[in-house]
Amino acid sequence: MLTFYDIPESLTTEHKQLEKDIAGFLDGSINPVKFKAIRVAFGIYEQRLANTYMIRVRCAGGGITPLQLKKVAELAKTYGSGEIHFTTRSEIQLHGVLIENIMTVLRELKSFGLSTRGGGGNTVRNILCSTDSGITQDEIFDVEPYAIALTSRMMAESDSWNLPRKFKIAFSNNRKDTAYTQVTCLGFVAKILDGKKGFEVYCAGGMGANPILGNLLFDFVPENKVYHITRALKVMFDKHGNRRSKNTSRIKYLWKKLQREEFIQLFEEEYNKIKDDDSLSLDLQPTPNEAKETSLPIEIVSGENFDKWKERYVTSQKQSGLSSIFVSLRLGDLLYQDAVKLTNFLSNFGENNIRCERKQNIRLRNIPEKYLGNAYNLIMGLEQTLSHLPKIFAEMVNCTGAQTCKLGICLPRGLSDAVRDKLITSDLNLENVSDLRIHISGCPNTCGLHHIADLGFFGKVGRNGGYMYPSYNILAGGNTNEAGNTIYAQQVDEISAKFIPDFLHDFLKVYSEKKDEFKTYQHFLDDCGRDLITILCDKYREVPTFEEDSSIYIDWGASKPLSLKEIGTAECSAGMFDMINVDKKIIKDTQKLLTDSITTGEKENYLYIILHSACRMLLVTRGLDAKTDKQVFEMFMKHFVTTNLVDSSFMDVVVLGKLGLKSELFSHEDHINELAKAVNDLYSSMDDSLRFNKAKKEEEEPVAIQVENVKDFRGVACPMNFVKTKMELSKMQVSEKLEILLDDGAPIENVPRSVQSEGHKILEKEKDGDHWRVLIEKV
Amino acid sequence: MIDFTEEQLERYSRHIILSDVGIEGQEKIMHGKVLIVGAGGLGSPVALYLAAAGVGTIGIIDGDVVDLTNLQRQIIHFTKDLNKPKVESAKEKMLEINPDISVKTYKKLATAENIIDIINDYDFVIDGTDNFSAKFLINDACVIAGKPFSHGGILRFDGQTLTVIPGETACYRCVFHAPPPENAVPSCSQAGVLGSIAGMLGTIQATEALKYFTGIGDLITNRLLSFDAKSMNFRNVRFKKNPKCTVCGDNPKITSLKEEDYIPPICEITN
Repeated sequence: MLTFYDIPESLTTEHKQLEKDIAGFLDGSINPVKFKAIRVAFGIYEQRLANTYMIRVRCAGGGITPLQLKKVAELAKTYGSGEIHFTTRSEIQLHGVLIENIMTVLRELKSFGLSTRGGGGNTVRNILCSTDSGITQDEIFDVEPYAIALTSRMMAESDSWNLPRKFKIAFSNNRKDTAYTQVTCLGFVAKILDGKKGFEVYCAGGMGANPILGNLLFDFVPENKVYHITRALKVMFDKHGNRRSKNTSRIKYLWKKLQREEFIQLFEEEYNKIKDDDSLSLDLQPTPNEAKETSLPIEIVSGENFDKWKERYVTSQKQSGLSSIFVSLRLGDLLYQDAVKLTNFLSNFGENNIRCERKQNIRLRNIPEKYLGNAYNLIMGLEQTLSHLPKIFAEMVNCTGAQTCKLGICLPRGLSDAVRDKLITSDLNLENVSDLRIHISGCPNTCGLHHIADLGFFGKVGRNGGYMYPSYNILAGGNTNEAGNTIYAQQVDEISAKFIPDFLHDFLKVYSEKKDEFKTYQHFLDDCGRDLITILCDKYREVPTFEEDSSIYIDWGASKPLSLKEIGTAECSAGMFDMINVDKKIIKDTQKLLTDSITTGEKENYLYIILHSACRMLLVTRGLDAKTDKQVFEMFMKHFVTTNLVDSSFMDVVVLGKLGLKSELFSHEDHINELAKAVNDLYSSMDDSLRFNKAKKEEEEPVAIQVENVKDFRGVACPMNFVKTKMELSKMQVSEKLEILLDDGAPIENVPRSVQSEGHKILEKEKDGDHWRVLIEKV
Repeated sequence: MIDFTEEQLERYSRHIILSDVGIEGQEKIMHGKVLIVGAGGLGSPVALYLAAAGVGTIGIIDGDVVDLTNLQRQIIHFTKDLNKPKVESAKEKMLEINPDISVKTYKKLATAENIIDIINDYDFVIDGTDNFSAKFLINDACVIAGKPFSHGGILRFDGQTLTVIPGETACYRCVFHAPPPENAVPSCSQAGVLGSIAGMLGTIQATEALKYFTGIGDLITNRLLSFDAKSMNFRNVRFKKNPKCTVCGDNPKITSLKEEDYIPPICEITN
């Protein structure tokens, strides 16, 4: 059975640990934030809908076999939403998996050679290469074997999973740089020097909210040094990367901080240690590009549509008689039944014929030319394909957006469909603009690759007359067509989401007409394209009021006006509303019972319940989690009464609650009901900024937390390390953060637990070499 | 806020790691000022534990010198201390345990005349005396001066204790209106006492002082805790603040201290 990487033995142990951690999360012994840090490193992300998860499967160089893809589709059908999603990092994702099924899915995946390790988090991420590597005439040499061998090596190294931040690697097979080596942490471009194979190496690029271009690290290194370079950079990053602030922790920021000379010096310190050790060189095992003999009957197809399809989506490989086919997927989704049809067909020709493609499509390879008719019929029969349409739609990229992602503001999937509907029903000559790359992200994170688009969009909130509407920033002019000369798109203007289809239509109309006057799209932009964008945006600048046209305020594919309430991490924000509502309801229901209650005993009991729920209701908005009734009252006193969020006259009844003097409550009925009302009023008056705006700023993965205070308690034995931690905490204000360094063994086993038992929050606990970093929030 | 030294963090680490005490609680202890009346059987463990706990200022008042009969239970005094003033002997040991604290000594008998002046400098008073008139003197003085205190008494195999927060909780006189007639109740010197009982009760009193400073738990207020070491039964007898109490009631008769109201028993003077 062909696989695209080796599953390391350690994965079995890691799965066992993850299983324990999931159980710990479910029984409450593992903090959700900590659990998040654990699971994202396994490519497991919680979706908008609480308790449903996305699972991202690693595909080295985008490679996956028909059998594997079919199995994943079956898992998607059994445990997920029934479809597979193709990502902009050449991986596949299952959506909608419930937490209780996660381990089953992971173990099933493993059984046919797939791992989710490094699907997210601060890890070595999926390693990419040009998806035409090994099959195109037009390549310097096949780089895929390097991506595959390096993946196996990285996956077996335990230090790949706990880096300061993500580590992305890509290989391009020619100067066209289709793997985008300058927008990634470490990029290799195939090069021949004096007849010897090697690479031009770029380092410290990256997109994100603050895109930075990679720098030339080596003009040429022999091809057998790929591992040495990667290893050295990983170790150096591990040692020197910024673990304190996750906003500036990627390799690109390390370069920025150290500047070239010092960065290279630190890199070389590591590189020189290993560079001459040839035993470390990668063991390359190229996957043959060939097609198996098959008795499958040949389907003969002819006609204009077939020819058009071939022209748009089929290329001849350097292997004579074999073809590569682009399968354009609507929104990057492949339905289960489509996956079954497709993989059954592909199995006829062998195992090496699928590559996940960065534009969220599938690139087939090694298909005998004589079977193109069969392929055409099959592909056109898929439910979610766009292969009958011009290539501009295949080139479109959109992230999943607010539909499933917790960070999304807008819905790029809905926009993508709306754009397509608009354009295909228009009079535009789409063939003429088919190479234009339109990329859409639902928020400032760059999952939709908007920084490298010809025309990029990223979601933002527009506001008009107190209402919010979906809106996008427009960027233009990204260029990745030439290694070493990558250009990021520049922000030009902004526009309401609902006007984008019209805007694009107008823009493409002008571009299509003027295109021939310019050598490239860049020239068009420089000459008049950017002005055109602004002029068109002006046309759509005026947003009707909510009363005039509420549809502007409802995103494409949404049923309600834009709201930010669901943005953030459901672990705290979505759960918060639920918890508040629980107490709200208890108060309401109990107040009803109270009016009907007869005996004093009943009355006292109900009053206590109301008092308790009123005090507990809003604790969660302050990030507090009371473990006992007494703590509920104490925390309420400290954070709501003494801070005057509620009137200090309520202190008396709260004290009675704290003392558990139910019999005394009888004479305070009015006061207790007033307190419940005061808490309710406070809740109604809370504006989103109290909590939710904060969550909005979170990035795609575990929250960037600014630590005010770091203390090194390595070498301090138990319990003095805890004593010192308490000393530090006692100097801090509530909700301030403290990071402590602890030794492995008894210290890490005891101190966080003790800190937690005192009511403080452990936000993060991560191993850093031989010691641990623990992030505490004072409560 | 005190910035703890490394040494202090270590010394008090077992307090600090208690979630109810912590840094804040230890700081309160270190700001605490306790007066121990009597450096005898009860005063000994109280003085040792409070010194060890780091109570910032400890006053100790006693007019006696160390006698051989004391050593069976008054564990702060050693054989080498015979004939040394008890307060001096106690101070030495306390500072040896914890040089961090300040110990003030009063080598005199607490009297109606001097007691108010002395207790005014303290936040909490420990009654470690061995006779009724002294116990009433301490009670009345503390009520008048508004100082919380821990009453304690031991005899034979029995002990009893009560904590009083003047103005809030019942006082000693609320329960025991007046001293019993002379010789109706024997004193230790007449009836004897099992030495370790002093330790049992004294450590309860020390605990009350530490609880008072840190605000932990519930003090022994509005109840009298008594034990019988023979059966090792502990009992709580509950009672309330007596509105007719002559010192803390609604119309108190005792508003100042008069020497003649607190005559120590004759036999004790010779001790």
